[in-house]
Amino acid sequence: MVLSFVEIGLEADSRWQELTAGQRPWIRIGTALCGEAAGAFEVADALEMALADQSVSAEVSRVGCLGLCFAEPLLDVQLPGGHRVFYGNVDAESVSEIVSVHVAGGTPIVSKALGYLAEETSLAPPPEGIPDLKQHSMKARENRIALRNAGNIDPLDIYQYIANGGYQALYKSLTELNREETLEEVKASGLRGRGGAAFPTATKWSFLAGNAAADKYVLCNCEEGDPGAFNDKNILESDPNTLVEGVIIAGYATGANKGYIFIRHGHDGPIERCRAAINQARELGFLGENIMGSDFSYEIEIALTGDSYVAGEESALMEAIEGKRSMPRFRPPFPAQFGLFGKPTNINNVKTLSYVPEIVSKGGEWFSNIGHDTSTGTVILCLSGNLKYTGMIEVPLGMNLKDVIYDVAGGMKDGKVLKFLQTGGPLGGVLGADNIDVLLDFEVLRAAGAIVGSGGLIAADDSTCIVDLTRSLIAFCQYESCGKCFPCRMGMSHLLEVLERLCRLEGTPEDLALMQNIGVNMQAGSLCGHGQLGFNPVSSALRYFGPEFDTHINDHSCPTGTCLDSRYSPAASRR
Amino acid sequence: MADEITITFDGQEVKTTQGKMVLEAAIDAGIYVPYLCYHPGMKSYGACRMCVVSVEGQRGFPASCTLPAADGMKVQTESGEVNDLRKSVMEMLIAEHPNGCLTCHRVDICGPTDICLRHVSVNDRCVTCPKNERCELKDTVRYLGMNLESPLNYKYRQIPLEVADPFYDRDYNLCIVCARCVRACEELRGDDAIGLVERSGQTLVGTSFGTSLLESGCEFCGACIDVCPVGALVERDHKWDKPRKVERTICPLCPVGCQMNVEYDGDGILIRAVPELNSPANHGQACFKGKFGLQFVNDKTRIQTPLVRRDGHLVEVSWNEALDVVATKLADYSGESFAFLTSPNSTNEEHYLAQKFTRTAMKSNNVDQTSNTQPGLTLALEQSLGYAGSTNPIWDLEQADCILVFNSNVTEEHNVVGVPIKRAARKSTKLVVIDSREVELTRYAHVWLRPTPGTELLLLGGLLKSVVEQGFQEGDWLTENCESPATLIYTLSSLDLGYISRVTQVSISDIMLAARLYGEAGASALVYALDNIQQSQSRDCVLSLVNLVLVTGNLGKPGAGIYPMRPGANEQGASDVGCVPDRLPGYRRVSNMEDREALELLWDTSIPEMPGLGLAKIVEAAAAGEVKSLFLIGDSANFSNGKLGDGLAALDNLEFLVVCDTFLSATAQRADVVLPRATFAEKDGTFTNLERRIQRLTPGRELLEEGARSEGRVICEVARKMGAPGFLLSSSSEIMDEIARVAPIYTNVSYRTLANQGGLVFKTDLKSPQPTQMLYASREDRGLQWPVDKDGFGTPILFEDGFKSRKAEPITPDFAEVEGGFDTDFPLWFVPGRVLLQQERDIKIVKGRANTIQRDEFVELNPTDAFAMSIEDGGKVVVEMPIGRLSGMARINEAVPVGVVASTSLFGQLAVDLQSSEEMEPATKVPGLDIRRARVNKVD
Repeated sequence: MVLSFVEIGLEADSRWQELTAGQRPWIRIGTALCGEAAGAFEVADALEMALADQSVSAEVSRVGCLGLCFAEPLLDVQLPGGHRVFYGNVDAESVSEIVSVHVAGGTPIVSKALGYLAEETSLAPPPEGIPDLKQHSMKARENRIALRNAGNIDPLDIYQYIANGGYQALYKSLTELNREETLEEVKASGLRGRGGAAFPTATKWSFLAGNAAADKYVLCNCEEGDPGAFNDKNILESDPNTLVEGVIIAGYATGANKGYIFIRHGHDGPIERCRAAINQARELGFLGENIMGSDFSYEIEIALTGDSYVAGEESALMEAIEGKRSMPRFRPPFPAQFGLFGKPTNINNVKTLSYVPEIVSKGGEWFSNIGHDTSTGTVILCLSGNLKYTGMIEVPLGMNLKDVIYDVAGGMKDGKVLKFLQTGGPLGGVLGADNIDVLLDFEVLRAAGAIVGSGGLIAADDSTCIVDLTRSLIAFCQYESCGKCFPCRMGMSHLLEVLERLCRLEGTPEDLALMQNIGVNMQAGSLCGHGQLGFNPVSSALRYFGPEFDTHINDHSCPTGTCLDSRYSPAASRR
Repeated sequence: MADEITITFDGQEVKTTQGKMVLEAAIDAGIYVPYLCYHPGMKSYGACRMCVVSVEGQRGFPASCTLPAADGMKVQTESGEVNDLRKSVMEMLIAEHPNGCLTCHRVDICGPTDICLRHVSVNDRCVTCPKNERCELKDTVRYLGMNLESPLNYKYRQIPLEVADPFYDRDYNLCIVCARCVRACEELRGDDAIGLVERSGQTLVGTSFGTSLLESGCEFCGACIDVCPVGALVERDHKWDKPRKVERTICPLCPVGCQMNVEYDGDGILIRAVPELNSPANHGQACFKGKFGLQFVNDKTRIQTPLVRRDGHLVEVSWNEALDVVATKLADYSGESFAFLTSPNSTNEEHYLAQKFTRTAMKSNNVDQTSNTQPGLTLALEQSLGYAGSTNPIWDLEQADCILVFNSNVTEEHNVVGVPIKRAARKSTKLVVIDSREVELTRYAHVWLRPTPGTELLLLGGLLKSVVEQGFQEGDWLTENCESPATLIYTLSSLDLGYISRVTQVSISDIMLAARLYGEAGASALVYALDNIQQSQSRDCVLSLVNLVLVTGNLGKPGAGIYPMRPGANEQGASDVGCVPDRLPGYRRVSNMEDREALELLWDTSIPEMPGLGLAKIVEAAAAGEVKSLFLIGDSANFSNGKLGDGLAALDNLEFLVVCDTFLSATAQRADVVLPRATFAEKDGTFTNLERRIQRLTPGRELLEEGARSEGRVICEVARKMGAPGFLLSSSSEIMDEIARVAPIYTNVSYRTLANQGGLVFKTDLKSPQPTQMLYASREDRGLQWPVDKDGFGTPILFEDGFKSRKAEPITPDFAEVEGGFDTDFPLWFVPGRVLLQQERDIKIVKGRANTIQRDEFVELNPTDAFAMSIEDGGKVVVEMPIGRLSGMARINEAVPVGVVASTSLFGQLAVDLQSSEEMEPATKVPGLDIRRARVNKVD
């Protein structure tokens, strides 16, 4: 017997009530990729052991990422009816203490606590002597929309998602709005694609909605192969239900009958959690025939990439789902006419679709008021490199990039000086330290020669050699070229050969012109973005750090001492 | 035309059609835009970026091969920036392609052995490349005007050559990774034997896991070679030879009628054959036989002069002497003691002369082809529909919604017909295969019905019954176009599907599914042969198939129709012009007085009134001493493969045997007079292919007066020496004119109307040097599909207007089971199969100068039979047959019918065998997959 959505909502609320204000303390531990890397699974095991050893009864949930990746492993304790108190960088030893003193004893360990987050419904006073985590620089300027549940709920439990407003948007779409009105909300929000091109999402959807074909597909791209970017994976690990709901609503608004979530092979956490979210949604009747009693029927399938970066390019992605070698197609025809299996198709990024449920719930106008100019909403940034605070933040568009680095992330670690930012993945580009006074706005950034792209921001201090970094970025791009179009296939290899020569301090003055020539033609001649943007790392590095290249060439020396003779044997870039 | 649009190239206005790409519009208009990965006949790929152009009002430099032409578009095909871009890509390309000569200004005056002042190593020279001067890369380099020096590092890739697989060599050091070969294999042929491996700068063409072609599912069709723009893929034979002459002719090895551009060197040696891209029958495709099997014309062992048997030995004589002997001796055998057997690759004109000679000069109707072992193949078709030929063109098959293939090993025996079938099956077309053997097409089949050998007719009865019972009868069409099918329907009602299922061992659900797929499709095509069908059932089988077509109304529209797969290359033409015992030219009946009289009037002589003997009966009669004298054209495997009993012994029994053959074959060695025969490469004339298309052969080799002659000329000379009237014809064109007068279906056919079907494809106004790409096709020959109207237009699809003058007749077959007779010595059927690929099986390739396949053959048995013989899975067994034996490992498989032992070999083995064959014309003797009586013994 399938429950109605209202009944499901009541069940979810009562379960949530039990967790937050029931009989037992609730311990949540961050187990997204950042936590896992820092040892969260070992900590979780230690936690279970400590509870058993000390015969303490508590509810333990493995949640996603709160964004404070620098503090991982991160766990928090919420006593019944109380607030959440966080402990950062915990290890097996401190877990034992937390269990005995806080969980069993009922007293937060003030000296070790990172901060607290207030439980809205709690009447208890804030814990004394512990800072409010909302005031932490990483959180103070955040406005969490897509990430609203990240780190708060168990991603494997759809009821926790529903208890926090989940599937309200789908319910609203199916009961209050029709397909056109749903699309209208997205249009009103001004949402633009977060994949890189920032194309208006509603416009893209309307191409598919306007196609009368019987079979239509919505594809969600979670290839996310950029070094330094982890927000798509993180959404899937922390709150896969948001995405699944977004994919369903996109299907409804565009009249599609099937959705594909395309995840890079090997991203086991995201794959497993996304699969669970789909299965649970199907069990509750949010997928399948006649969803929520409407005439809308829809299915979602997870497709995995091979080991290929270019599979994230939308047409190569479709080739990959079809079981072919992931090489881009030429356009036209565009996916909305001839897409997956030759059927009309719409492709969006994970972040884009994750905004959709909140947009539908709260209305497009609400979303359009956030952000800057035509760049509405928020941006999800992944901060890594030698920063004081690293992690994932969701801040309104229109914020200054400089503030992100010096205010939110707290500047460089250990008193180092920022040399440059590497933005938007390997195909993005570098920004010199003096040029980061720009607004996070699609148009403004593009004019400054950078892109938000995947949202990765890697900060480097002055111990990093720009030539070496460029070489390593090009080595990535070269290795990941699919080998189809000639300019990219061969151009990347030749670029890498030149850069390796520079790093061996054997470069000649002609090499710069040679790179320029290869790069310009790659840009003009390549079939897809990989080749067209593939020269960006070099061109932007040359733009801000030309003299450093000259030193390598003319003085045969590397100012940072990173590039040493004979260090680089030629990579197998050609046969 | 409504969708005609105008675009301009560098200011020149060009008309094209909506949907064409800009590059295609340029090629159509004879405007050269360089390209490397694009190939006419394949989908655009957009990789090489050589064809980039600039378009007014558009950003950047789009590749013209992927840019749809739009009305009013203004295209610049060359500008400074466009050329810079092309040159930059080319510079990188030749940084990994040997380029010593490519950029050298002296290349035109340089020979392979010249000492090079530039110290370019041998590997880096164009002059040592097999494709030199046939190379699209070189043409493109010349067009772009590349510089001698490049700032890029040149790297010779040092990839070992792949020369151990049959027929062709692969040198991937020359590969530019345009993926044309990969796309040809996938897109054109549906085989996927090769693919791209690795990625980025390491990307190259290869097979999965680096296996040899023998293991990768290659069918050695040569499609990849034909599209390779550089020297990476080449035919091994005459690898370095350059053509002095290219002639378009028709492949003589099977009835598909592939147009081939045959290349000859200065000495008239046939060096290679390249299928014509714009040909209607083969669409640029060929097969292992046509691509690699035509070199027999060069053979040194060809008979050079006529031979006459004196004192038991064949001695060389002059033509005049030999013809005198023939004329004198034949005069003694007038009437039924004489027979004439033509070769399936004799031309229409020669077949016509042969039957005219036999009928008028020898007063005998004993005339047939040496390949015609299944005369029942089209007899029933002619009776029911009125015409004995395919109703639709070959490439219509690609448009079919369902294709049914009955007992025909298409991919081996009519390979190019298999291409549209495979391509269709990979899209949405449903493929139903009925065959006891596992052949290539069974892999593509949605339903494979595998009846017990000998029960095919019954199965067809079940299929028909199921079609009718499921309501797929096309009622209105039937009423309008057919005689009443009431008797048929009544007979079907007495059939019992349960019984049929038990006897044929095909499940009822499979029969019903096959019937549904064939019956419910919008247009269903039926392709059939009579491989392994007993003579006694052949007529009823064909009647059943024709009835299947009739009751479902699958005639007269694209994608439908019925295709008989005749074995011989020009057997269609032979029957058309009356070179069969019971039909006069144009299917007039020997037994019909009016028909005979019409011919007698035209020929001004009398014709014997009794229908003559066909191939099998002639051989029988020769063995019995009733036929005493035989005129035989060409050799045939049928004399020695058992299909005609002991055919060679029968020939020995003749009193006088004239053999006109290219080689001193087993048959020629038995002759009293041997006359050297010209091959297809030396002949003018026409073939009619299996889709009724009359196409012209063009000779490429000269004949010496004292050497080989065409059988057409020989027949005329013998007839003239015998004083027979009507053989003063001097040219093939003249003979065709007579055929057109005599055979109604050839009315309006002449060499002139045939020539009118062709046309120039390119308007070439090119700068020098002329790029190789422009040589793909300069002329199109479409041939003519009979019947031809007075305006010279042929009939691609028969019965498009239904059956107006004569209704089609559904003749009821006799579905009574024919007792095969139980053979106690050989209680089982041995069913051979052959496929391209067996992924589930381990194959050991013995590498060496030539790779060979080594593996244990599996002998598949039904569990019931295995149990009865206490044979265990994996046990060693030997299959014994009246002719031959096979040992292998037993494999118990429920899919094999009870009473059948099956063994499926690899096509690769056939390719290896063909390549190393000592036969003079191996491609004509590819062993078929014959089902035989057998027994299985355990080996301990």
